[in-house]
Amino acid sequence: MNDELAWVLQAQQGSDEAFAKLVEEHQTHVYNLCYRMLGEPESAEDAAQETFLRAYQNLHRYDQNRSFATWLLSIGAHYCIDRLRRRKLLVFSMDEENDDGSSFEIADAASPDPEVESVKREDRDRLHLLLRDLDATDRAAVIMRYWYDYSEIEIAESLRLTVSAVKSRLHRSRRALAGMWQEETPHARTERRPHESPAF
Amino acid sequence: MNHQPFEDWLLNNIPITHEQKRDLDSHLRTCAYCAALVKTDKVLRTVKMASPANGFATRFQVRLAAQKAVDRRRRIAGSILFTLGGLALMGWVASPYLVTFFASPATWIAALVEFGVFLVTTFQATVQAGIVILNVLQGFLPPFAWMILLSTIAGVSLLWSVSIWRFVRVPQGV
Repeated sequence: MNDELAWVLQAQQGSDEAFAKLVEEHQTHVYNLCYRMLGEPESAEDAAQETFLRAYQNLHRYDQNRSFATWLLSIGAHYCIDRLRRRKLLVFSMDEENDDGSSFEIADAASPDPEVESVKREDRDRLHLLLRDLDATDRAAVIMRYWYDYSEIEIAESLRLTVSAVKSRLHRSRRALAGMWQEETPHARTERRPHESPAF
Repeated sequence: MNHQPFEDWLLNNIPITHEQKRDLDSHLRTCAYCAALVKTDKVLRTVKMASPANGFATRFQVRLAAQKAVDRRRRIAGSILFTLGGLALMGWVASPYLVTFFASPATWIAALVEFGVFLVTTFQATVQAGIVILNVLQGFLPPFAWMILLSTIAGVSLLWSVSIWRFVRVPQGV
């Protein structure tokens, strides 16, 4: 029996100490999901706390055959999707980043090329902003795919979708992100060759 | 070669040969959309995990304790409300008898007997009325209507039981 399962079993029997260890272990995963879903650190903190609270209250429902991390992320994703649907309009406050909850990395002056690092950081920030324009469930699928390396089957289980729906949502999201990226890139449009598809 | 195969390769991460890779590179130089597909994929793969501010677990413990306190208060308030409601109902039902009860010892016993008789006769009358209603309805209602009626009653009972169970259930570990 691994440590995590032991903690889960102890937590199910009422050990708050064991649950605290689970929180320590998974806080970054859950917070990152909430942050990428909701876009701002304050909401992400609140959503991550709520996710753990819901997990605590529903520990007796946890199926030990499933990964605990997947179960937690599933709770977090559904909570964030509900929250996004309720609030409809996202307000991103990029300026409110702080040192503690940092997610936008500051270019390291000691790194080989600070300029390259700075461009990379800008790209990541830009993509983070573009994520907000995706549908909530599509966004959850993209986050699980890229940040957690989840397979389409795992995403389908977590979001209660079919595998083909996940595939289609991932494709749609990537197309949308590429489209938005292209639109926001100055002078990105290049000439289409005469023999290529007229669609592009 | 037109655009579509390149988009399919990129979206499905299909393994490609060196020759196809050359074609793709050449396509990427002319197709801004496919270039954006590659770029966004690349950026998505390099974005780091966001970490919560220090002390997340401690803040969670505080929130958990607060939530437990709220749950406890809610349970106590519910119990008090339930008890007071029950007492009020009992008082209302028993009020005519209570007056007699406190009047004199002789009348207590009479009132008690009267109340017992009242309970028994009420029960008997209810049973009789039920039997009569059932007998009457039996002729009117076809068997399928009985099935629907009984299923509805069973469904409502189940719903009621589940609601009560959900309301009184205490999450494990709390």
